[in-house]
Formats: sequence, structure tokens, C-alpha cells
Amino acid sequence: MAQTEQTTTAISTTFKVKPKLQSKPRNPSKTLESKYWSSFKSTRIENLVSSIPSIEFSPKSTGRGVFAAANSASLTFFSAQDFSTVSTISCSDVVTSCSFRSDGALIAAADLTGQIRVFTTKSRTPLRRLRSHTRPVRFVQYPSLDKLHLVSGGDDAIVKYWDVGAEAVLHNFQGHKDYVRCGDCSPVDAGTFLTGSYDHTVKLWDVKADNNGKKPVLEVNHGKPVEDVMFLPSGLMFATAGGNSVKLWDLTGGGRLVHSMESHNKTVTSLCLGVIGKEGGEEASQYRILSVGLDGYMKVFDYAKMKITHSMRFPAPLISIAISPDGNTRAIGTSNGSIFAGKRKVKKDDDDMEQDAEYGVLKGLGNGEEAQRRLQRVVRPGSFRYFQRGQGEKAKEGDYLVARGKKVKLAEHDKLLKKFRHKEALVAVLGKKDPENVVAVMEELVARRKLIKCVMNLEVEGELGLLMGFLHKYATVPRHSRLLMGLTRKVLELRADDIRASEGLKLCVRNLKRSVDEEIRIQQSLQEMQGIISPLLRIASRR
Amino acid sequence: MIRGGRNYVSSPPVFSNDSKRLLVCAGNSVAVFSTDTGLQVASLDGHAALVTAVIVVPATSPGSKILCFCWTASLDGTIRYWDFAVPELIRTVDIKLPVHSMVIPSLFNKPVQTREKAVKVFAYISVEVKDASEDKSKVLFQVRKCNLTDAHLVGGAVLAETKKPEIITMSSCGELFGVRRKRKLDIWKVPSTDSGRTVLKKITLHHTKAITVMAFHPTQRILAAGDVTGRIMIWRGFGNKMFAMADGHVNGSSMIMEEENPGVRDSDDAESCTTLHWHPAQVNLLSFSSDGAYLLSGGKEGVLVVWQVDTGKKKFLPRIGSPLLHFTDSPDPSISSISCADNQIHLVQRPSMEIMKSISGIKLPYSHPEISKVMSSGASFDQNAGLVALRTESYAVQLYSLFDDRGISEVQVYERNHQPGDEVTIVVTSVVLSPDGSLLCTSEVRLPEEGLGNLVCLKFWSSKSKAGDFSLSTIVYEPHRDAGISAIAFHPNRRMAVSSSFGGDFKIWISNSGVPMKEESPANSGWICHAAGSYKKKPMTAAAFSPDGSVLAVAAETVITLWDPDKNLLLAVIGEAITPIVTLSFVGNSDHLVSASWGLKPQLAVWSLLNLSTCWSYRLHIEAIASSPDSSSFAALVLLSESAGVYDSNDISHKTVDGLILLFNSAEPNPVAVWSVKKARGGALAFIRNQSSDQENAADQHQAAQTLLAYMNADHEYALFDPYGKEADELSITRWGQNSLDEAGNFGYASLYGELLPPIPSRKQTPWTVPSFPSERPWETIFSGPSHNLPPLTLLCGPFLEALLEKRTTVVQ
Repeated sequence: MAQTEQTTTAISTTFKVKPKLQSKPRNPSKTLESKYWSSFKSTRIENLVSSIPSIEFSPKSTGRGVFAAANSASLTFFSAQDFSTVSTISCSDVVTSCSFRSDGALIAAADLTGQIRVFTTKSRTPLRRLRSHTRPVRFVQYPSLDKLHLVSGGDDAIVKYWDVGAEAVLHNFQGHKDYVRCGDCSPVDAGTFLTGSYDHTVKLWDVKADNNGKKPVLEVNHGKPVEDVMFLPSGLMFATAGGNSVKLWDLTGGGRLVHSMESHNKTVTSLCLGVIGKEGGEEASQYRILSVGLDGYMKVFDYAKMKITHSMRFPAPLISIAISPDGNTRAIGTSNGSIFAGKRKVKKDDDDMEQDAEYGVLKGLGNGEEAQRRLQRVVRPGSFRYFQRGQGEKAKEGDYLVARGKKVKLAEHDKLLKKFRHKEALVAVLGKKDPENVVAVMEELVARRKLIKCVMNLEVEGELGLLMGFLHKYATVPRHSRLLMGLTRKVLELRADDIRASEGLKLCVRNLKRSVDEEIRIQQSLQEMQGIISPLLRIASRR
Repeated sequence: MIRGGRNYVSSPPVFSNDSKRLLVCAGNSVAVFSTDTGLQVASLDGHAALVTAVIVVPATSPGSKILCFCWTASLDGTIRYWDFAVPELIRTVDIKLPVHSMVIPSLFNKPVQTREKAVKVFAYISVEVKDASEDKSKVLFQVRKCNLTDAHLVGGAVLAETKKPEIITMSSCGELFGVRRKRKLDIWKVPSTDSGRTVLKKITLHHTKAITVMAFHPTQRILAAGDVTGRIMIWRGFGNKMFAMADGHVNGSSMIMEEENPGVRDSDDAESCTTLHWHPAQVNLLSFSSDGAYLLSGGKEGVLVVWQVDTGKKKFLPRIGSPLLHFTDSPDPSISSISCADNQIHLVQRPSMEIMKSISGIKLPYSHPEISKVMSSGASFDQNAGLVALRTESYAVQLYSLFDDRGISEVQVYERNHQPGDEVTIVVTSVVLSPDGSLLCTSEVRLPEEGLGNLVCLKFWSSKSKAGDFSLSTIVYEPHRDAGISAIAFHPNRRMAVSSSFGGDFKIWISNSGVPMKEESPANSGWICHAAGSYKKKPMTAAAFSPDGSVLAVAAETVITLWDPDKNLLLAVIGEAITPIVTLSFVGNSDHLVSASWGLKPQLAVWSLLNLSTCWSYRLHIEAIASSPDSSSFAALVLLSESAGVYDSNDISHKTVDGLILLFNSAEPNPVAVWSVKKARGGALAFIRNQSSDQENAADQHQAAQTLLAYMNADHEYALFDPYGKEADELSITRWGQNSLDEAGNFGYASLYGELLPPIPSRKQTPWTVPSFPSERPWETIFSGPSHNLPPLTLLCGPFLEALLEKRTTVVQ
């Protein structure tokens, strides 16, 4: 073993010019999951009139997805593909909440006047107008398993159960003592829903219960005004948001508090369910609770492990969040009239599908089998294939595999350095725009005592400009500044005449001067800060 | 006693007749390597000095291929005849003159069918003779003839005299041999029946540059010679006139007229002389292939060039990585060997020119620009496994097993294509192995070009499975800004290390927050800086951990600061050496600390940690210190200055003695044992746990024999011996124990102290009266630094008073 190693080291292998290693954080911050959540490429939809209290995705999974955002006195539909405005429905007053019917054909919108209007999503024609609430309605929702009814709640503290077709209230649930701000219908039972109110309580109602809406089936106390409430997909647990905390409750356990997550710094305003991982997994490993708050943070909570798996900051107070049913689009509404919409790249999955399709086609034609048969056919000497036999063969189980030595892939500058064409190597790597590699090549040139000569030989047109541009950009980067600042001085010293003669290079020098000035200013302020801190630290270490 | 680390490339190696073995001149012996495995199979020991030539008696018939006889010549003035299969010494020819080179042409002559059974064997040797006419110690080198059968020099037959020892080159059939003399080549023709009185015919060829190497064509009258500028001259048809009358070997081209001798200088006896020029520097090796169609040449640039003799076309075997020294063909045409200057012998498969095996000796020291005054010979020892880590010229670290005397592995510290002969711009400055051998720390310096691009790198390596298999764990760029690293030390039992710099600070590095070393560590365990410290902004010149790891000693120029490595607290300051301290070492299980300082007044000092004062000190120039891990003794390698050298008049082995190894018990200043050594400058010392005794006779050994002392000299030859044993070691390491004090009076302590150390009274200084220094002086740190850096006085006043108050309370308590 030792002998074989020696034979490999005997002939010195070709080493690439390697850039300096970057320092890695000791515990990698990017887990698989945080990678997933940060893969939503965020775009900002601006210029909406006021805050976005409600965002809802169309449940229609086929075709192009659409999401509706309540925005002042209108309901705006955006395309989930490119986030362009598709259409707008104008209402009489500020829309507070909206909800798609389970087939996506209708949408209900509640406004501050206390009425709920139902539109068709295609033609945007108003179909029904439900008037019974005396105060602004803050919450309206179609039950997910029911196309005929609506649930609503408002500032009059009454929760109403509507028959949409007849524009009539079927049930009035009176039990809340303060504004009802939120609610959610059970995903497993058509007549069951939750409502949350500013009286700190969340109540579970059942239309089938025969107490005529006087008493809730279940009641839990969140401890803070409840801003949002959400059933988990199993229908057996639910999450409530209020104050700085998100709480998780067990329905089957009679409303037992399972967990309280308190990592937001300001009021949590909205909850929604996120999807991660493949279909068919266990529920808890697939879904995450996403919460947004006025502190501008979006947190992802894994309720299987009971911990925050990702946290993301947006530059505005967030008040609503929604995720498309396929989990690839995310929209977050802020209080200052913009929407942070994010879309995940799903290209890879598509490719997989296409490949699968192709494979299926091949299989269907029986090509695979034929190939199999061809392999088994004995190759006779005399044919061309005889000379190529066994080349593409895969190693069998139990074969002793001699791995082919990894070939060192040489970049252009490596090849040029190998031929001692130093200046060309420097120019080549400068053209590649990777500062790490450029510095590595420069260091190699220093080791060969050729850097100064290279600088002397650079042509005024282009090549020197390339170097000056690089120096302007990276001379003040702390990682490289020790080499590059010295080099900059050398370049200016050596090529002063050329620089004076060329207008473009003068501009480069001016830029360089500006960036150096800025760096000096930063250094000075840092030193000031250090001066302030160091006596404090000294005293602190003494205690 | 174990010896090793010998130079394999001092003389060309020789293949045995069956090409299965390679005989390599290695120091005082000849090492026999197997060409199949590349491992040493036997050793011919017996010569008392460097072996300079080895000649295998060639097989005269196919059946005799298994014969394994060889002649060796050495600087000890003997020529010996061996059977290297057994191996066994058959006879010794003592000619009393150091032999630098030897050829025996008659062995290679085609067997002449003679009736005489015993043909006398004559050797031509290059010997060193003292000039008898003048009384000076001037030496001359003569080429002489020696009758090996009767074991005497042939009188009066001085063929040539040279100023330097010259290599005699012989043609492959033993018909011709030659010697270079500066710009000339002397060539003699050996008569087919040689006898003592035969006068040899000689021609001389001239050139304008100093010739370095020559080679004879195997079949034709063609001679190739390389010179210092890299040119290769090829003389064709040399000596046609002079040698022609002897026999009709020459081809028919001798009819060419004299004036048509292109390229031949003066009136040299040659038909033509052509020049091949590719090598940029001196040509070191030249060899014709056995059929004479190709000429191989190599030199400093480490590229083997294969020339087609007739056309001058060339092929290359590049990137051998080190200057080439010798090339040897074997009887088997498919294998030959290249000796490189980095003490490696590569076995080359011939037609394809691939390197099959490498016999790698210990890496030889190489010259590099001195970065700073650091006392490190570049060697670091693994006490348990008996490994030594050495820097190589190609930015790598070689791990060499002292017990097995072979290279284990190489770790490429800096990945760069090394070109031998280039200016050295990157230097691996220090290599340190952790005490258990699982971690390695290296530092390298890239030298700047006109003030641009200098960089100091600290690298931590960890070995995964077996010893010597290191992989890179962490790189720290500029660990101490741009200041150089003066010392690196590992914690004895945790993953902790300290690096000290000339920039005035030291840093403690930890991995896995300092868990014990033995535990399995996760894959991505990097090293991070745990603490940094400085003392009065003085350059930190040395660092060491105490054996239990609780105390860290860092030398700040002349004082020693003691720190708690965990809390980074200054525990105590011990002062004060005369000149800056270059190395520190805690002495085993005693409470003593040894320091050595260099400069005008070098010093070896032992400090007591109990009362923080000097125990005793010597004015000695110390090259290395090693302290035994489990006893209270330490060894120091002392350099003898030229004026005070211990020269013995008659013993040849003491001519080059320039160092002493002193073994001390740390409590008292009288050395326990003294050995004198050669080539001590740049040497290294270490205590090594004895492996062989562990396995063989664990029962009856005593405690002391478990550790051996390893000494490695400047040429990286080493010896392992029991410092407490009674064995008297020969030659370069001579033991004078206390029992031999009376016999060797002029070598003992009296002469040692009398001659070496006259100015310093080497008695114990009264240790108890020296006051210890208080450790806490906070006001020093408060006001340290230039005044414009200090915070305003109003801010400083508080801490200053506070410090005084604290002091008072501690005193009261």
C-alpha cells in the first residue's frame, strides 16, 4: 500500500492553481429544509393601494393558478406563474377577507360594511349578496367539503352559517365576547369550524349540534387576542396565532395545549400550511406551519419535531400569507401595500417526468428488451463490434473494480501556466471574472517571480484596463486586499505613463481612488468603534 | 542500536545478474533491495567508511546467472569480495588508501579461451593519497591499478593524478575506461590479457567546458560526454589511430582523411565530434542503451531525455521531481534504475519509460532561504510509532519509520508543481507531529516578490486510519497577521495546539472544543482559535505544553511566561535569560523546564517551576533538546565551536566531530552521559518508545530500556540507542559513561569543562534565594502601548486604582 502511494508521488502530478479556501461556518446553516424554503425566488408586487389583509389561492389545481389578494376596496387576481395582474373586482368598501369555493368557480369577499358578496371567478359577475352582519365582517370562508354554505364572523362577535343560494343565515353562533377576526373550517368534517376572537378564545362550532348555536363544542384560551386559526390537515389538531406566539392544540385530547412557539418578536398575524417533501409521507413530515408576523419574519415550524426549521426576514410588517395547493408558489401580504410573491423552480421535477415518459415509451416499443437480447448475442471475431466488446460494460456484483484515476481538469489559465505563458494566463483568468482564481493565479505568479514582469508586459489596450477594472472592484475586499493593494501600487508605479496617456485607464484610476477613499472611511469608523468598545471589554474581562 | 536514514544515491547502484536485486551503496554498507517489491532484503555490513563502488561479477554463461558475487570499494581503504545472496564476506583486499571509484574491466571482457585457470583480476581505482613530497595535508587523487587476486597495488602504475576524486567510467565490454579531468577526458584501452607490467595506451580528448560525465557506446567507438553548461558531446571513432593497431575492432571508417574531422579539437584522436544541446544546466547522467541506439541523459532539471543517437531526435520522461544523478542498466533489458537527488531510486520499465517502483530513502536536507532564527531542524518525531516527519524540497512532508528504515508516506503540504532548480519561493517552515501521532501541523511561508504577495499559512492535518495517512483538516491563512510562526506545540492529550509568532502574540487552537484525542471525532472537525495572548508585545519565540497539559509555557524573547491554556490566564513570568530563547521543553515528570537560547551568549538553562527561578545553566550552544516523557532526564545536542573543538590527533573518526549529546538529570547539572557526534549542526534529538523490546522480551527488561534516544544528524542519518544501556557504540557515536571516566581521561568531564566552558562557573546557582516574580501586574497592561492609543486618563484611572485595590485585598487574604 505504502509502495503504491510512493509510486504515485514519485512522478509529481500536475497540480491546479487553487484559490484559497473560504471559511465555512462550523455548523452548516443551510439545512436541506432551509434550502427548500429559500429556493422560493421572491419578487415584490408593488403599488397596491393599501395593506393586504387576505390572500387566497385558487384551489383549482388544473390549469394556471391564480391567487386573489384583498386590497382596499378591490379584490385583485394575480397569476401564480408570473405574478401579473389578471383581473380586479371592485367592491363598495374595504375588503377584509376572501375565500374560494372548493372548485375555484366562486369567490366570497367580505367587507367593512358588513356584507359578503359572492362572485364568479371567471366573469367576475356578482351572484349573491349576504347581508346580516351589523358590523364589519372580518372573516369569511367556504368549507372545504361543502359548496353550498359559508361561514363568516365579524366585529359584532357573531359567527354566522349561511346558505349561499338562499342568501339566508342558517345558524347564528353567539358565544364570543369580542370581535371575531379569524376562523377555519375542518378539512374532514363539513359542518365543523373554528373561530378565533379578540376575547382570547378559540371556539369550535358544529352545525350538527342541536344546541342552536348557543354553546361551542370546544373552547380554548389562547391568552392573547387571536389573529389567526388553522386546522392541520388531519383535522385533529389546530394552530392558533395571537400575540407573539403560535400555539398548537390537540382536538382529540379535548383541547389540550401541545406546544407553544414563541419566536416572533411582534404579533403573529397569519398562519398557513406549507408542503415539503413528497406525497404519501407521514402527515407531519410533509407539512409545515408557516407563520408571519408584524416583525417582518416568516417562520417555518416543523410540528413533528416541534422546532423552527427556517426563518426569513422581509423588509415590511407582514399580515397575510398563502401557499398554492401544489406548494410551489408563496404569496405574503404586507401592511404597506406590497406583496412578496415567490415561486420555486420545479424544472427538475418536470424533467424527471419527461424522462419517465420517454422511458415508458421505450418500454412500450420493446426497445429495452431488444437491447438486452443484443447484449447476450455472442460477438464473433471479424466484426467491428468485436473490437469494441466489453467497453461499455458495467461492473458486475463482486467484480473487483479498478477505478480510473481522476483526471485533473485544467482550466485555461492552468494550461497556459504549464506552458510558462504567464501573461496570457493572467489575462485569461482576468477574463473569467472569478476573483478567487485571479488571486490564486497572481499568487502562483508571485511564487514564480513573474508577476511584476507580467504587469510590465500587459498591453495598454484592453489587458491593462482589465487588470485595473479588477483591482478597482476587488482591491478593497479584505480577503485579497493585502496582495491587491500592494499590486495596485505597483501597477500605478510601473505603468504611470500608459495610464496617463489613456482616457479609459484614467477613469479606472478615478474609480479606484473612490473605492479606496470609501474603504478608508469605513476603516476609520471601525476604528472609532473599536476605540469605544475596547475599554469596555477590558473592564468586562477584569470582572 | 538501530541505524538508518542513509544516503542511497551517493554512488550508482548495480543490478544483480538476474535483475531481481539492486545493490545500493548506503553509507558504510551495501543495501540489497528486491526489484519486485522495492523493499530491502539484505545488507552487506563490514566497511568502516562510506562505500563508494560496488561491482557485481557478471555471469559468463546463462547458467551462472544465479551467482551473486560482488566487489565493493570503500573510503576505509579496503576492497571486499562478497556473496550477497547469503550475505557473506569472502575476502578483503586492504590497500590502505581511500578508494573513491573502482572499475574491474577484466570481469567484463569476453572470456578468452585460455588454459590458465586463474586469470588475475585487475582493478583500476581512484584513490586518495597524501602528498608525500610536501608536508602539508594536501591530498591528491590518483588513478591506479590494483591486483585484486594477489591483493596489492601495482607499483609505479599511476595512470593519472587529479585534484578532485574522479569517477572512472568503463565501457560495457570492459575494453576501455576513462576519467574526466576538468576539460579533458583521458581514455585508456585495456589489453585483452592484462598483467601487472602492461603499459596502457592512452588518448586525451579536449573540450572547452568542464566535463561532468561520460559514457561509452557499447559496440561502436562512440563516446558521449556532458558538460556543466548542459551540452552533450559525442565523439565518433575516437582513438582509431592509437588503438587501431591493437585489434581490428574498429569499423572501416578509419580511412577518412585527417583534415575532415569536423568538430574535433586540436589534434585529438577522433573522427568527428557533434554536440547535442537540450539541457539548460549541468548534465549529471549519460548512458547508452544496451544496443547503442539510444542515449539517455539527465540533469538538474529532473527530466530524463532519450536521444536517438543517429538522428538526434529526443523523447522525454518529465516530472521526476528531483535532479537526476545516476542511471543504471540491468542485464534484463526491461528494467533500469534512476537515482534522484532526493534519495529516491526509481525503477523504470524500459521501453515504455514508466516508473514501476520507487525505493525511497530518507529525504535529504535541502537548502532554503532562512526565514528567521528558528531552532527547528524541520524534523518532528512520533514517540510511540517511531516515525519522523521531515520536510522535502517539493513542499511535502515525508513520514519515515525509524525502526523499519523506510518511508511510510508523503503528505503534500502545498500543492504546487515543484521544479528542481527553481528559485525557492515557498518554504515549509515547521512540521510538528502531535504526541500520539494522529495530528500534524505544518506552517508554510510564501516569500514575496518585491514586497508583494507574502503569506503565512498554518495547516492542521489529521490521520484517519493508519499512521502516516494524513488528510488536511484546516487551513489558517495569516494566523498571526503577517508575522512568521516561531513555534508550534501540541497539547499532550487533547486536541489543542499553540502557535507562537514573532509578531508578539501566541494563539491557542482547538478542535472539537478540546475533547480527548482518542475519541472518534466527527468528519468535519475544524480547528478554531480558542484564545490569543501576548506579553508586553514581545516576540514570542518558543512554546511548550507541560506533560499533563495544564500549563503552557511561551517564551517572550528572554523571559518565559506560563499560562493556563484553558482560561488563558497568565500564571507566572520567569526571567530572565541573557539572549532570546529559541526552544523550551518541560522535563518529563519533574517540575523543571529547560530552555535554550542562541546568540552571542548562548545558554542552556533549567528552570524550576516550584519557585520560578533558575536551577542551573550552562553557556552552551544548543542545537536540539529532547526530554524523556516518563523520567526526569533530558538530552541536549551541543554544538562545539571550531576553536574549542575536541580534536583527537590520531583517530580518524574524530576529525569531523562537531557536537556532543549530553544526557542530564534535570535536578543536577552534571551530565549523566556524553556522546560525541558528527555533523551536529542541523541535527535533531528525540526520545522514542522502544517497539522491538515491547514485543520480544517484555518480561525481563527494565524501565529505562523502553525509551531509546534518537539522534539524527545534518545529513538525516540517524541512530537509535538506549541512553542508559552499557553498550559502547562505535564510530560517530561514542559513549563515555561515568564508568569509563577514568580510562578516557582527556575525553571526560574534566576536558569538557576545561576546554569548552572556561568562562562560566558551571556550578549550581543558589536557587532558593532568587526571588520569584509576582504574576499579576495589571497596571502594566493598562498602560501598555503608545500614548496616542491609550484611552483618556480619566477612563484609565478607574481600572488602575481598581487593580491596586485588588492587589491589596489579595495580600491581606
